[in-house]
Amino acid sequence: MTSIARKQAVQPQGANVRERLRAMDDSAVVTAFLGGEERAFSELVERYQTRLLNFVYRTIGDREKAEDLVQEVFIRVYRHLHRFDRSKKFSTWAYTIASNLAKNELRNRSRNPLVLFQTVQKNWQDDDRPVQFEDATSRPDDMYRKRHLREIVEESVAKLPEHHRNVFILRELEGKSYEEIAEITDCNLGTVKSRLNRARNSFAEIVAPYMD
Amino acid sequence: MDCRQFRENHCAFVDDTLPGIELVGMQMHLTECEPCAKHDAIVRRSLMLFRSLPTIQPSSHFAERLEQKLEQARISDELMARSGRSRKLAATVAITSTAILGYIGFSLPQVDSPRDITFPPVVALAPVSDPVSTMASSAPEMVAAASAGLPIWTAAFLAEQSPVHFASLEHANTLR
Repeated sequence: MTSIARKQAVQPQGANVRERLRAMDDSAVVTAFLGGEERAFSELVERYQTRLLNFVYRTIGDREKAEDLVQEVFIRVYRHLHRFDRSKKFSTWAYTIASNLAKNELRNRSRNPLVLFQTVQKNWQDDDRPVQFEDATSRPDDMYRKRHLREIVEESVAKLPEHHRNVFILRELEGKSYEEIAEITDCNLGTVKSRLNRARNSFAEIVAPYMD
Repeated sequence: MDCRQFRENHCAFVDDTLPGIELVGMQMHLTECEPCAKHDAIVRRSLMLFRSLPTIQPSSHFAERLEQKLEQARISDELMARSGRSRKLAATVAITSTAILGYIGFSLPQVDSPRDITFPPVVALAPVSDPVSTMASSAPEMVAAASAGLPIWTAAFLAEQSPVHFASLEHANTLR
């Protein structure tokens, strides 16, 4: 009885902490975690897991691997949060780690393309399989009707050069500012603008035939 | 504004970050230039398509897997910290013992380095010559005369055939 009463007393307190953490901005959550509040880390995971997963997935194109990489991001955040410069934005730091891991993944793939193919092929679901552009029977309007436009778009993103794609996703999908993108990708502002412009033009060129 | 300028500024135009005058210039160019207007429309539509991609959600066991990995990370960090502490301790012990040994080595009284070893003079005594032993040790004359080139068995055969005359001291004296 006593333990149940204690649990009931603790639970609202825990719920209160979670509510409080949810209301805080990233910087305050980070401070809470560094102050010994372990639940603050769960709050950071809650806030960023989907965003980081989408960013990494769009960058590397392999969902399972993207999940692994996002987990690695959180492990690194957990281990090195005490070294994080709190004058900067937490999200920028997290995206920088994710961006570097995604880059490494793509680099490893380019070194070992056979492994990549086998891995991706194994992980393909029917729904995830890209459109076969070589198939002469499938026309763009059919694809629209068959709801394959998503695959076309994803394929078009994948066709972009890596450094263009990274900037493109950060801007168009994550809504990052040019300055943040410059910090995440470790480039100057001019490079970010130029890469984004090229990426947008290339993407539009690839997708245009399927939009008419 | 020409098409080249329009394309250069298009990124900022799409993002609505252009200053007022340039923005008006871009809009004016759109109404005048059909290819640029088409390009603008294609870019905007393609971006809309991309932005409307469905977001994927983490799998159901994402949090569970992450918790397991974090637990492993905590354990390995703990082990690293412990091994770091024991390494520090070992290093401290090594440094201390080296320092103690060095101190002992330097503080011990300096022992004189050994000089040249002097041995006592060798005293040799000449043995008193014994005639019997001299005779016994002297070789027989015949054997001494034997040719070195002959095989041994021939020499032995000859020795058997010849009369034996052992050299002796008395004989030697008589020869003199």
